[in-house]
Amino acid sequence: MTLELSRLTKQVQVMGKKLASRQQQYADLVTLARRWLTQYADQGEQLRHPARSIHAAIPTGEPLDTIRSLPATPERFTFIAADGSQIQPNRHGAALYHLINVGSLVYRHGSGQTPEQHSQPTLGYAESDLYENGRLVDGNLLDVRRDLAEITCLADLCAAEPTGNSQTVAVVDGTLILWTLDERAQDRQRTKVTAYLDQLNRIRETGAAVAAFISRPRRTEVTRLLYLASLEGDANRAAQEPNPLERLPDRAVFEMLPPGARSALFVSPSEINHKYYVAEGHNIHFFYLNLAPEDCDPVIARIELPAWAAEDADRLALIHAGIVAQARIAGDYPYALARADELAFISGPERETLDEMVTTALLHAGVRTALSPKAYYKTLTRRGRRSHRL
Amino acid sequence: MSNGNLKVGRVLRASTRGFVIGCRVMTPNIPAFGSFVRADGLTPQGTIYGLIYDVSVEDDPFVRQFISADPPDEVVLDQRENRQIPIEVSVLAVGCGDDGAISHCLPAQPPVTLDWLYQCNAEQVRAFTARFGYFRLVLEAREVPADELLAASLRAGAACRPERERETFLVKAGRELARLLAGDPVRLEGLLRRLQNEGAI
Repeated sequence: MTLELSRLTKQVQVMGKKLASRQQQYADLVTLARRWLTQYADQGEQLRHPARSIHAAIPTGEPLDTIRSLPATPERFTFIAADGSQIQPNRHGAALYHLINVGSLVYRHGSGQTPEQHSQPTLGYAESDLYENGRLVDGNLLDVRRDLAEITCLADLCAAEPTGNSQTVAVVDGTLILWTLDERAQDRQRTKVTAYLDQLNRIRETGAAVAAFISRPRRTEVTRLLYLASLEGDANRAAQEPNPLERLPDRAVFEMLPPGARSALFVSPSEINHKYYVAEGHNIHFFYLNLAPEDCDPVIARIELPAWAAEDADRLALIHAGIVAQARIAGDYPYALARADELAFISGPERETLDEMVTTALLHAGVRTALSPKAYYKTLTRRGRRSHRL
Repeated sequence: MSNGNLKVGRVLRASTRGFVIGCRVMTPNIPAFGSFVRADGLTPQGTIYGLIYDVSVEDDPFVRQFISADPPDEVVLDQRENRQIPIEVSVLAVGCGDDGAISHCLPAQPPVTLDWLYQCNAEQVRAFTARFGYFRLVLEAREVPADELLAASLRAGAACRPERERETFLVKAGRELARLLAGDPVRLEGLLRRLQNEGAI
């Protein structure tokens, strides 16, 4: 180990003091944001158009300061969660491959039944798996494949539910908006987003509701909207002048939500949302939700849902109540999502074992493989013990 | 040898003095402390006999979340049946068999990893406890609660016999204990008291 922790002591102390001094400044900004939330609560309609142009949250018909308390939780409903993880291709490894593993849990509230768990690993090793238009599939390209695998898994599980079971909520960890950051070609972006939207269509057809859950969100779309409101909706000024709330996350504003309550619904200003999702009826909405039980500090999550779920009172209530019910099982995070993550997670020893399996399979097939020199020396230097145990 | 009997679990680690097996779920069928179990030996007709001296349930931080949370039934079932919280059963080796002949001694070789461990049926327990040579192995084992284990094994041995034979069996066992622990009357008294408290004698 070569990180000299003793040399960081001073820096860590300074960091602690600096962060503490920011607290008061932060509190003042929260107060300002909440004042604006109340002051401009009824100006949603005037703000709708300029909000989109500066990537601020787009108001819906609900006043900005809306607080909706926790709806009644159905006695019986099904909560399906999916999460994925991946092994990136390693050009220094014995062979070039990637792995996507999707874990999922079907939890039937009030049934007294054992939840159903699934884990689906998929290995990518063929040329067509590994390359897209000459580029190695890693980073964001692999993230997109994982997101597609997650939503497909949810759609499959929703389709497997008994017909007419409308009391089903399907939830992914993260966002419902496919982030195709590395995709510059429009047609390839369209193909991928369309594949994602096809799965949302499948879920809609089953009668289930779908949502995405974001823990400790850092988005600043609502605070940007509030700043815009303070400028009487002047998008030009909002784009040019410094926004005092620029780094204040939306969740700080909504920490005033009572336990179990949600904020107003907003529409995502994401370009991909407006370019592809809206036309298919999946316009992504979101709200903030306080998951904490009574007498506990607020725990704010961001929930994303398509228009057909946001505009259907029953589906919206089911998503709201279902996520809170799930989160309160363990404390402040949906139980089924925690389990789906556990089922998807690929541990270090599992990665090593898979590498050994691949090496063995290649040897059986008569192919001799070896780590790159760089990878080989890492195995030597990183497993030694050069200091006292911490 | 291992035909049609209740499987307890597979061997995780082993030595000639004993072994540890892992199982997924605790059920009423999982044998309790003091039960006789057996694993296949390395020869075709070979058997290794043991006594369960410890059953431990492992935990993890996720399970600990629910200790004071009064979890719903679905969560309890999920944690018990889906999440593989390991249950480890420790076994003291007390004998071995070869083609039906039982010796009360340590096995020449331990079972190997992932061998099945089976619960002994009544006939096998009767055959093993027909003699008391294994008492010394238990009494001398330092890593186990020896006296409790021996008393539990005798209760198991008595329970596998017809009611009319139980008292005779226990009296014989008591005499053997008196012989082995002649130099340690305090320990002998404690052991006999354990059997009396359970109504075995």
